[in-house]
Amino acid sequence: MIDSSERLVNLALYLASVRHAVTAEDCRAAGLGYPDDQDDAAFIRMFERDKEALRAAGIAIVVDEDERYRVDPEATFSTQVTLTADEAATLRTSAAALSGDESFPFAADLSIALAKLGQGSGASSIAVSALSDEDPHIQGSSAGIIAEAIAARKLVSFDYTNARGESRHHEVAPYGLFFREGRWYMVALDTGIGRIRVYALARAAELQTNPSSPKTPDFERPRGFSVDDYSLLPFQYGPEETEAVVRFSPEDAWRAQRLTGGRGTLEEQDDGSALWRVAMGEPRALAAWCIENGPGITPLEPDTVVMTARLGLKEVLARHDR
Amino acid sequence: MTARTPTASRARRLLALLPYLTQGATIPLTKLAENVSSTVPEVIRDLTTLTMCGVPPFTPDEMIDLAIDEEYVTVYAAPPALDRPLRLSPREARALVAALEATGHGSDDPLVAKLLDAASSGFDLDDFVATLRAGEKGVGIAGIYATLAEAIDSHKKVRIAYFTASRGSHSTRVIQPHSLVNERGVWYVNALCENAEGPRTFRLDRIRDAVLTTESFDAPPEASTEILPATAGLPVATLRLAPGAPHTEERDWPGATFTIKPNGAVFADVPYVSASWVARRVAAGLGMIDAISTDEVRAAVRQVAEAELRELPRSPAQA
Repeated sequence: MIDSSERLVNLALYLASVRHAVTAEDCRAAGLGYPDDQDDAAFIRMFERDKEALRAAGIAIVVDEDERYRVDPEATFSTQVTLTADEAATLRTSAAALSGDESFPFAADLSIALAKLGQGSGASSIAVSALSDEDPHIQGSSAGIIAEAIAARKLVSFDYTNARGESRHHEVAPYGLFFREGRWYMVALDTGIGRIRVYALARAAELQTNPSSPKTPDFERPRGFSVDDYSLLPFQYGPEETEAVVRFSPEDAWRAQRLTGGRGTLEEQDDGSALWRVAMGEPRALAAWCIENGPGITPLEPDTVVMTARLGLKEVLARHDR
Repeated sequence: MTARTPTASRARRLLALLPYLTQGATIPLTKLAENVSSTVPEVIRDLTTLTMCGVPPFTPDEMIDLAIDEEYVTVYAAPPALDRPLRLSPREARALVAALEATGHGSDDPLVAKLLDAASSGFDLDDFVATLRAGEKGVGIAGIYATLAEAIDSHKKVRIAYFTASRGSHSTRVIQPHSLVNERGVWYVNALCENAEGPRTFRLDRIRDAVLTTESFDAPPEASTEILPATAGLPVATLRLAPGAPHTEERDWPGATFTIKPNGAVFADVPYVSASWVARRVAAGLGMIDAISTDEVRAAVRQVAEAELRELPRSPAQA
């Protein structure tokens, strides 16, 4: 019996080179590598798996009403991509960095994508990435599992240890996945409590996708769901839900876009400063955020944030008196 | 078998190699390995497998015929089909968009659109946007990243306008960029700063503008990909972190050593280059982080706190 990957390449070449569509039986008889002693049912299962693998590789296999197969060239071959020097450099360096980063869950697919685009990395010495510095392999593989479960809409179960050290088993319908400051997070409906929660994948163990009926979705994602609604800045989590106003000084107004991450609204003022209106959940955290990212970033509203900042800074001065 | 199994993954790699094998070509194996993001031994194994592949009736003229030596592959008979690049599968397109998102290119970036239009098939970008975010939205570093990547490639100097957070100052510098480094989602460029006359690391999100110059530089034989200075010999600040304070994890203070006392108090010994950087974080603790030492850091904490207090509106009416 020949190597399975050889059989897959032979099948791809055969389907792409035949002038007319062919049946599964034609493929079996063509000497592509299907075992001679295989019964019909086993052959059909293997043929179906092979077609699925080739489709996953980007080969568009179409089937007609007589169950004859061929490759659709238009859907299979990419058109020429002309990149500028900076675009090509961007692709190569990002690929070099992220395809070697075990915390990036799509590294293997990225390498193939770049190979197809003729932009293979080969630049590992000039670009590196470590998205996660804690358990990068575990976070990367967990994020990969969740991404697949989101796409297939399959339930996932796992053990989760929260920030207080309490462990519990969860079953969830995963809706979204996001990365923030070194950690991958899953947004999911916890079936036990019927609520959407955000889980840090670094705290999840024994992740398992529901193995039954892998091609049948277990749930539907709510219409209008957006992962961005859950990927918040630190001060946006909390009990108070109110709008805050933060001023970026004229000299620092350009930093507003970088720091606000597309959240809230930015209004440029006549003096060159920028006012940022953004939802806030925790006044103390917003006050801290402004100081940490300053100078030039000042909370203006609500009063609770200004007061919290003032009292806190006075406390800092008292504790660092000469 | 799915695209995740070793066989299917290997088949994808083999298929991605086919368009490179043009009739009569002699290709350096290193170049081929680079093109398919692989290693030379792996490429040799894959090419050897491809010499067993072809189409019926599998006579020699219907098989892929390659001569492989230690450095080159020569193509005597090209693949009988699939000699053009394949479109990206949805999974590969997802990987590409996620990687570009991690470099600050939003899903609406022209580069993303250009690549997906030309090369992908069956990828649902709207679904991706709704469910996956691999980088900060709207960070605005895509142009900065592209300029620096091109400069590293072409060994051209770059003029940058930079915000130095530790001093809260803005400056213009000319740098010779050597490497790009992503740590915890933040991109840095390691460079020789001509203004400082030495190696420096710059955060991309603190670069306001980056302009490629026409001036070339000699690239170092080996570019550093370290973004943290060696901590040996640096002054060390001792901090006391109250329970519930921000930044109570070791990962928040690079190079720090943490000690937990029996009463739950956490002490951190933090090596530092810039006292202002430590001071700003201590001030942001709003009384929950104390700088026990050094005197330099304590003085910087007072300075930051006083300056921030001056900026606050005195009463709600002034806001």
